[in-house]
Amino acid sequence: MHAGELTLPAIIALSLTTGFGAVTLGRLGLAAGRPRGVAFGAGALAGFVGPLLFMVPLGFCTFGPEAVTADTLLGYGLMAAGAGLLLRLGWTFLDPVAARARAEAADTTTHGVFKGHPFLPWLLLAPTLIILALFLYWPAGRTLTLSTRLVRLGAPGQVERCVTNFTELVGPSRPGLAFTVMMITLGLFVAGSSLSRRADAAMQRLGGYLSSAGVASVLLLLSLLWTASYQRVYLVTLIISAGTVIIGLALSIGIAYLAYQPIRGAGIYRTFLIWPYAISPPIAGLIFFVMFDPSNGIIEHWLGSLFGIDLPNYRQNAQLAQAVVIIASVWKTLGYNLLFYIAGLQTVPGDQLEAAQLDGANSWQRFRYVVIPALSPITFFLIVTNLTYAFFDTFGTIDYLTAGGPAGQTSVAMYEIYRVAIPGRDLGRGAAQSLILFLGVVALTIWQFRSTGKRVSYGS
Amino acid sequence: MRLFTRARTTVALTVAAALILAACGGETDEPDDGDSVAAEEPDDDSGDADADEAPDEPEEVPEGDIEVPVWIAFTDYRLDWARDVAASFSDQVDGYTITVQGYDNYEALFDATLLAVDQGGQPAIVQYFEAATTEARDAVSGSGEPLFASVEDRIAGRDEILGFPVILDDVVDAVQDYYTIDGEFSSMPWNSSSAIMFSNRTLMEELGISDIPETWQDLEAACETVMSADDAPSACVTWPNHGWFTEQQIALQGGLLANNDNGRADRADEVNLDGEEITDFIQWWADMNAAGFYTYSGTQRDWDGAYNAFASQQVPFVWYSSSDTTLLTEEGENGGFEVEASFLPFNADRPDGGALIGGATLWLTEGLESDVEDVALAFLQYFNNPENAADWHKVTGYIPITNASIALLEEEGWFDDNPNSAVASAQLDAAPDTPATAGVLMGNFVAIRDVVTEAIEDILVNDLDVAERLTQADATAQQLLEEYNLLVAN
Repeated sequence: MHAGELTLPAIIALSLTTGFGAVTLGRLGLAAGRPRGVAFGAGALAGFVGPLLFMVPLGFCTFGPEAVTADTLLGYGLMAAGAGLLLRLGWTFLDPVAARARAEAADTTTHGVFKGHPFLPWLLLAPTLIILALFLYWPAGRTLTLSTRLVRLGAPGQVERCVTNFTELVGPSRPGLAFTVMMITLGLFVAGSSLSRRADAAMQRLGGYLSSAGVASVLLLLSLLWTASYQRVYLVTLIISAGTVIIGLALSIGIAYLAYQPIRGAGIYRTFLIWPYAISPPIAGLIFFVMFDPSNGIIEHWLGSLFGIDLPNYRQNAQLAQAVVIIASVWKTLGYNLLFYIAGLQTVPGDQLEAAQLDGANSWQRFRYVVIPALSPITFFLIVTNLTYAFFDTFGTIDYLTAGGPAGQTSVAMYEIYRVAIPGRDLGRGAAQSLILFLGVVALTIWQFRSTGKRVSYGS
Repeated sequence: MRLFTRARTTVALTVAAALILAACGGETDEPDDGDSVAAEEPDDDSGDADADEAPDEPEEVPEGDIEVPVWIAFTDYRLDWARDVAASFSDQVDGYTITVQGYDNYEALFDATLLAVDQGGQPAIVQYFEAATTEARDAVSGSGEPLFASVEDRIAGRDEILGFPVILDDVVDAVQDYYTIDGEFSSMPWNSSSAIMFSNRTLMEELGISDIPETWQDLEAACETVMSADDAPSACVTWPNHGWFTEQQIALQGGLLANNDNGRADRADEVNLDGEEITDFIQWWADMNAAGFYTYSGTQRDWDGAYNAFASQQVPFVWYSSSDTTLLTEEGENGGFEVEASFLPFNADRPDGGALIGGATLWLTEGLESDVEDVALAFLQYFNNPENAADWHKVTGYIPITNASIALLEEEGWFDDNPNSAVASAQLDAAPDTPATAGVLMGNFVAIRDVVTEAIEDILVNDLDVAERLTQADATAQQLLEEYNLLVAN
């Protein structure tokens, strides 16, 4: 693909990953009782092939003659990531615990199997696979290719540009600070996890706090990894997503609790409350656009006549614009969240509530210590769906409300991709940004299932 | 039983709500078309008067006729106008029917054209806007052939085509100057305009101003008077933050946006977004904004915001495209105030430049059958014949494109009755013939425009240092230009 070459730094890096793979996987494998040759061989293979996953399609261009330092650093990063990925897979393969789990899973297969018809399942799956390949995998592959090129909609020609589209986004402008924060983050997590293993309850709680601080520190660290120009997009996405999810869920659980009270006309209230869900995000944007219009909107009218306050033009103020986008998104998701919370409230065990009441818990305590934990599976599910909404579906709302302004302060990652690739017609940079967003979503999903999953009580 | 009643009430209410929502949804779709067009180009309006029916359904072609498709980036009353003209042309030509298809914006239209040329069903004529002239000239189809043919080249010196007189030579100077590149008129002008100022004469006089401001300095002084009045409006002046107005103000000061004579002597490879002319203009703009004289809607390319502020008398002055002269003048008639159009205020310290045109031209696609091509060329001439050009001007406010159409309008006494309609043409005629007033030609200009508006928004909203922010914008724009030239060279 790219006219790069296998230069000395690349060979050294490749030898290092191979050696590292052999040593780590070899030692782990030996400890787990695997034969020496298998363990070391698998490690070396993973350490060698992993980096090539990225480097072969790129043609080692990050080490080519035209590569700048940022390219080379990203090249090392990609090699390390590739090696890490395959080593992790290799360990799953060697790990006796995982192997046992696999064997058990295979044994307990209860679903139907096509015995003696090796091609029939594929034939039956073909319609789905063809559609997936045509509309998902092929475009995804094209996105990967585009992300390494300078290519513009409507302009003739394409130019290979290695990882420049990415180094324009990723690359700490203050590496020293980023390193310090990384060390602090690691420290917080290590301290947090060791403290929470102590028997002392107070220490455990402190460990929990430290781990939470670690998560905040990770978010800060991530913000330092971007170049100055993309950092804004990250922060805006963080603010708007966090605002939408946290405010949205807090408000929904509160309203759901109220709407669930056995009062007259509760059914009508609940029906009304679910309505916003039926409205599409752009229409929500339009409604709030009209409401918040600084010269003739209804909010301006109320503020003016009730309190004598002039509503500033939210389109000129970053914080106000973000607040309006969050309010509109919260309103939009409210119906959906309520639907699930009201349904969830019906599953809160009545005997537990009754027991709490008999123990003298007041209504707030019952809500806080019985209802909220009982709703945790739904909350977990809603965090996932609301985050997805905040990441991808706020687009229409933002487009109508602020068009990403003022000065990009409401341009979340998704909107920025659109802005760069469609009106900006820069397909290469748009593709690179969409891959970054993709990685972000993958990371978020993994994190959510690993951390939040543990604290969810499914009421067993 | 009671439960049943409640369920029934709920169902009824839900159905009613769904109907209301559906109705709202239907209505809110309308401004969508207008908005997206307005977002892309200067010569657009907010009067989506005729947008209530799906206007961009392709027309029927009589059996046996060959279809000659024309694609334009209007979906409102201007599409209807084009269709009427096309129908009357089709009546005069045997065996061919012109169909006019409307698109939401120029980019969508251009992308559709690229696809159609590669995959079949290519249009004969497409509309594309002035800022993308370089892109259109460089555009190639999938086979590597140029996408468009030069109109002048294909007319090949004929005086008439299929009996329709060729009017290309009669096109007014400002438009000829813009679109003549390397000595050739490559596309057929249609909608051309200039940026002018509209004043609410009634409101002005109430606030104690009698003369229309002619310079920045006049405007600033007028705004001081306006804003210190007892019943001062919320602001004094506004205009969309669209690159076109900045370009106008650079040209009015005689400044260039790119090297090689604004890209007209040779392909531009150096952009100039940090020159004195642009810096002074943006600085003045930022000062007007800080003083509360100028009001920013908060969104880039927000034509509607500026239009509505003026139409609802929130500001006595607006800078706008002359393409909406007719609509804006009518706003005054309907709203009980007098609208007066005038030249765009200029910098009294650098008065030697002149205004630019804006708008779009019609491009002939490459690779048509020669009979279809002739019909297309004949249609281009008919479309802009004196009667049609005059009518187009009256309906919209785009300038009368040929000298013959101006003569026709004068004969009718149109300009005496509608003095506002004469302003844009007069402003363009007053401009000296220099590279600055011919307008810039450069690659990625559409994207570079957005770099300019982004920088301005940043300055207006975040109160940044003008020179510093423009230096930054210049670097970004320079990169865009270099990338484009690299792509074309490949």
